[in-house]
Amino acid sequence: MTEQDIAVETLALTKRYGAVTALDAVDVTIDSGQYFVLLGPSGGGKTTLLRLIGGFVRPTAGQVLLHGADVSDLPPNLRPTAMVFQSYALFPHMTVERNVGYGLRLRKLPRADIERRVGDMLALVGLDGLAGRMPHELSGGQQQRVQLARALVLEADILLLDEPLAALDAKLRKDMCLELKRIQEQVGITFIHVTHNQEEAMTVADRIALIADGRLVEEGSPREIYQRPRKRFTADFVGETNIFDGTVTAADGDRATVDLGFAGVDVPADRPELQTGAAVAVSVRSELLALFDAAPAGDDWQSMPARYVKEIYLGLTTAHRLLLPNETEVVVQDLSHGERPAFAAGQPLYLGWRAGDACLHTD
Amino acid sequence: MLLFFALPMLLTVVWSFFERTQFWMEPGFTLFAYENFFTSARAENYLYSMFHSAIAVVISFAIGFPIAVFVRRRLPQTAQHQVILLFVLPFMISELVRVFALRPVLGRTGPLNSFLMEIGLIDEPISVLLFTPTGVVIGDVLSFLPFMVFSGFLAMEAVQKYIFEVCDDLGAGRLHTFVDIIVPLAAPGIFAGSVFIFVNSLGVALVPTVLGGPGAVNAGLIVNQAIVALDFPLAMAVSAIMMATLILLLYVGHRLFDLTKIIRPIS
Repeated sequence: MTEQDIAVETLALTKRYGAVTALDAVDVTIDSGQYFVLLGPSGGGKTTLLRLIGGFVRPTAGQVLLHGADVSDLPPNLRPTAMVFQSYALFPHMTVERNVGYGLRLRKLPRADIERRVGDMLALVGLDGLAGRMPHELSGGQQQRVQLARALVLEADILLLDEPLAALDAKLRKDMCLELKRIQEQVGITFIHVTHNQEEAMTVADRIALIADGRLVEEGSPREIYQRPRKRFTADFVGETNIFDGTVTAADGDRATVDLGFAGVDVPADRPELQTGAAVAVSVRSELLALFDAAPAGDDWQSMPARYVKEIYLGLTTAHRLLLPNETEVVVQDLSHGERPAFAAGQPLYLGWRAGDACLHTD
Repeated sequence: MLLFFALPMLLTVVWSFFERTQFWMEPGFTLFAYENFFTSARAENYLYSMFHSAIAVVISFAIGFPIAVFVRRRLPQTAQHQVILLFVLPFMISELVRVFALRPVLGRTGPLNSFLMEIGLIDEPISVLLFTPTGVVIGDVLSFLPFMVFSGFLAMEAVQKYIFEVCDDLGAGRLHTFVDIIVPLAAPGIFAGSVFIFVNSLGVALVPTVLGGPGAVNAGLIVNQAIVALDFPLAMAVSAIMMATLILLLYVGHRLFDLTKIIRPIS
């Protein structure tokens, strides 16, 4: 990989507001042409990171490199970035066309050029025929498309999106996600998208970075983040997961045995540093758990006893709540469709999963 | 509304055509009051007064509106209202006292002249600051400036802060941001503040009474003088002319800028 292929690199990037540390020494590298999502809970620092990259706030310490050049002290308009804001960020007194063309008019481009580029951009974002509308005549989704066009028309090669779909309803958000992905693939520039919505992140992202408490928790492809989270926080934040605390009783290379107090389970562990006696957590996704009347047989199956509590019908899936012998709650999800045995409250059952489906977390 | 607003306005017009008597007036129809107004120095003074009021509006905009923008853009949200409230403080002192207090300040031996001489900007005291139209304009600006700050701030409050970041991102400099974005978005507030200051500069007799002099009067003072002289039809006529002027100005403004567009809330 050459320098040119890296769009954004932050070096120990830190932002403090008085005594509050919004971002704490974050190193992140974003490849050119990637759809990169910053995912995390509200107040975790992901928007701060985006605003530092865009130049809307100045770092307390650390550096922002865009295409290898240090831009830490440059204002937003001198960086190769353009920003799409949460909402209400269109100029309310200008038509769609004038909103999109404003940046080009500031650059004193010939009128014909401006008209052509604005027209092309409106076509790209699917707003042909709405050029003469005022922002208040548009739906929320359309307004965000105008913002997208206004940012893209300047041909910056890094587009920053700050919770661009937060104000839209669920159905529209889904459609807009696919639209964003299509547009990103078409223009081929780097998109950096901030969201707290994991479904949104999964839909658009080539790579996801989890940001919480001002730190970069974990980074990977959507599949890696979901299927093989390394950090306990990641497993907990993304998807429905059951987490059990325990201690390592045996560790041999790629496998560890963990004592949970009421059961011992085998977990895949590619961590050579793992020591016997270490406190760890084991997580299993709710949809990878199954219910059995008797402990499932076979080497591969792991299991533990549990007491049935109740089921919650969720449409696509049904969630079953159970209690472990130590009174912690476990949720098992399966597809609602088809014949299933009914369980009674208090019924003793066994939870089972394939050893390879569990994840081990040391932190 | 009708009783307290429209009726007095109507009566003003009707009474302006009445016959003057020694202490009051009696019903009739005569244009004597208007003739009196237009053939005396009053008409000229009235026009000057409109001109000076317009200058007061422009100066108030130039000083007051940037204050409003600054407070909205640069101060933390929690401090904004407190700072704006500071501009209410002068109103807790009687306007008479406030305006009177300007007299020693603007006088030949006042602190303003002393200061200007001290820093070497002038060699001898400027006497144009008091009992002249300049004095009246200064008095108007200092009296009514807060209205521009208030209405400007309220208009700016409706503008999302993101808008300014968009301007930074697109590379609109200070001037472009101000002319292309801030002024159009705050136009309703600027317009309201301007009308308020213009009407007050034209109509509040107190300022020229205290700070004005020969040729430095306004419409309000002309009315006042007519009432003191017990010429009620003349006072009514001048008031009616004021109303007509303002309506005309609003109409011209409307034709030029389409005021409905400015006043319509931008959602």
